[in-house]
Amino acid sequence: MPEPQDDPIVTSSRREAIYFAVLWLGTLIYTVGYCFAHGYDRPLDASLEGMTFVWGWPDWVFWGIVLPWGICTVISVVFATFIMSDAPLGHDSSGDGDDGESSV
Amino acid sequence: MNKWLDPSSYGVLFALAVIIVVSGWIGVVAQRAVSRGSFLKGFFLGNRGLGVWAMALTATVQSGGTFMGVPSLIYSHGYVVALWIGSYMLVPLAGFAFLGKRLAQLSRRTDAVTMPDLMRGRFDSPAVGLATSLVILFFLTFMLMAQFKAGAIVMKLAWPGNADLTLSEDGAITMDAEYYTGLVIFTVVVVAYTMFGGFLASVWTDLFQSVLMVIGVTIMLFLALSAAGGLEKATRSAVARIDEQAAVAKIAVAEFDAAKAANRELTAKEKDAELLARKNAKDSGVAFVTGPGMGRAFLPMGLAFSFFVVWIWGGMSSPAGVVRVMASKDTATLRRSVIVLCFYNLLIYLPLIAICICARSIMPNLAKSDEVVPRMALFLTNDLFGGSFIAGLILSAPFGAVMATVSCYLVVIASGVVRDVYQRIINPEATDYEIRRMTRIVMILVGAVALIANISPPAYLQALVVFCTSGQAGAFFVPLVMACFWRRATKEGILASMGAGALTVLVLYATGWTRSWLGYPDPGIGQATDFRPYFLLGIEPIVWGIAVSGIVGIVTSLRTPPPSQELLDRMFGPVEPAQA
Repeated sequence: MPEPQDDPIVTSSRREAIYFAVLWLGTLIYTVGYCFAHGYDRPLDASLEGMTFVWGWPDWVFWGIVLPWGICTVISVVFATFIMSDAPLGHDSSGDGDDGESSV
Repeated sequence: MNKWLDPSSYGVLFALAVIIVVSGWIGVVAQRAVSRGSFLKGFFLGNRGLGVWAMALTATVQSGGTFMGVPSLIYSHGYVVALWIGSYMLVPLAGFAFLGKRLAQLSRRTDAVTMPDLMRGRFDSPAVGLATSLVILFFLTFMLMAQFKAGAIVMKLAWPGNADLTLSEDGAITMDAEYYTGLVIFTVVVVAYTMFGGFLASVWTDLFQSVLMVIGVTIMLFLALSAAGGLEKATRSAVARIDEQAAVAKIAVAEFDAAKAANRELTAKEKDAELLARKNAKDSGVAFVTGPGMGRAFLPMGLAFSFFVVWIWGGMSSPAGVVRVMASKDTATLRRSVIVLCFYNLLIYLPLIAICICARSIMPNLAKSDEVVPRMALFLTNDLFGGSFIAGLILSAPFGAVMATVSCYLVVIASGVVRDVYQRIINPEATDYEIRRMTRIVMILVGAVALIANISPPAYLQALVVFCTSGQAGAFFVPLVMACFWRRATKEGILASMGAGALTVLVLYATGWTRSWLGYPDPGIGQATDFRPYFLLGIEPIVWGIAVSGIVGIVTSLRTPPPSQELLDRMFGPVEPAQA
């Protein structure tokens, strides 16, 4: 039996969903892992000696959250610009109300 | 000061009045836009014409909670809340790149106006449509009640001279004439403009308040950093102040203990001071800058993992968000929305963390942590020209957020009743005029019921909101993914998946509530509330709900007959159904 053929939006969406799921898993492992290893139950005294600050943020917050946030923003912009593909969404089967005139 | 002479209160009231007038105007403008084409698609879906800004800033932004919940958590538990909210770095892609295009396409192929419409058409099953509708109506009704109460409370607090700025649901808000006036004004305004402008009015007010919020946060960030001398200095100062405060609190606790040992009756004021002292005595500056957080183990590993699931997978399955993605104009809109939302989130969340850390250093003694943003706004703008109005704008953001949320729920509930019940079951031959009339009747009825229910509102509604969000995600995330990508998914599989997910969340919450009611000790993790769920293996119920929903959905689909080839061709195939 021949493989059923999918619409280009189905195939591109499925591919993009898989990319996203991998990105989510990678971010989860890095962010939660890094923060747990460097930010949890850290032996510090009240003077915070041993903790450095990067751009004002405690080191573990900067390397574990702020930096990945910046990287994810760059990845998202690249993803939206170069990886997500455009295709016609089609029209309503009833054929009305698809004028898109009210867009903001 | 005489309560009527406090200038800051007039700033808030004025800003609130501006928001109400703008919302009314938006309702009228939206009404003109939706009057083109068919009433149903215009009123409930904005003629599928949402552009980049409206899509980006309203489909996934958890606006109501941002200004109320998150700052309070940062102030109370410290930097670990950055990890709690950290997965928002991926929300733009999750919202628009994961399911967005397919949902927008499926909604056109099924000619869907609502999410139940989409599910019904995708599986060619009225039962799936009805089940989706019932689950949405069940959860959204609770959510709506809570939002009406929140709206009334914000109005009450904006009344000149109300020094209490807390937005807490459970706190000392008295149900007096100001509350009832607030409730009536709020109900009339929100029902009226939603009835006029429908979906577009709801989206545009949401957009308006999202813009207000980002302006408010940006102004506050600069003022807060400059007042605290930079983020590092603010952090060090916050740590030192927390330790000082804890030392003082420990002495106070010892004195209270001595007084109790001597059988001295404490006054009401002393009892409040004792509660605060006992809470502060447990704090430590180091815990404020490390995990799992200050005050209690706010975010142990299991919950840190859970919140990467909650914000990402839970957020994308909210019916209100799904409808907005369905209304997307085209795929380019979805792509550009990712970019806009990325920068918006960057401008909101990290600055909000910095502002609240500064707040802990500048105002270390707030008795109610949910007052942190309003108090900071008033403090930082005190010496500025036009400061009262700036503070008013910042303080009115929660009101705008609540209005936008209520309006959105009103549209979803009305569409559920009118489209999925009235038009599908009661009167399939209904004309545009009859549908329009029924929509207005439903909105007025929902507004009236919400108003009556909130005359004597139950406490702890905020906990119900969290429960409903989790329940919806448990019920809908897996079915939506199956609907979009899996040819072998069957209607039986979807029904089983939906039921199993919702039930799992329900059971875990009910277990937690029962344990709390029976007096089991607080496990000491997550947010402090009596209505805590049962964290099985230290993980949020939503994760279990999604896992169970996935397993049940896949197994049931594989054990039931596959869907017809004709249906699959219509939903997945390259050839569009015949055009009208």
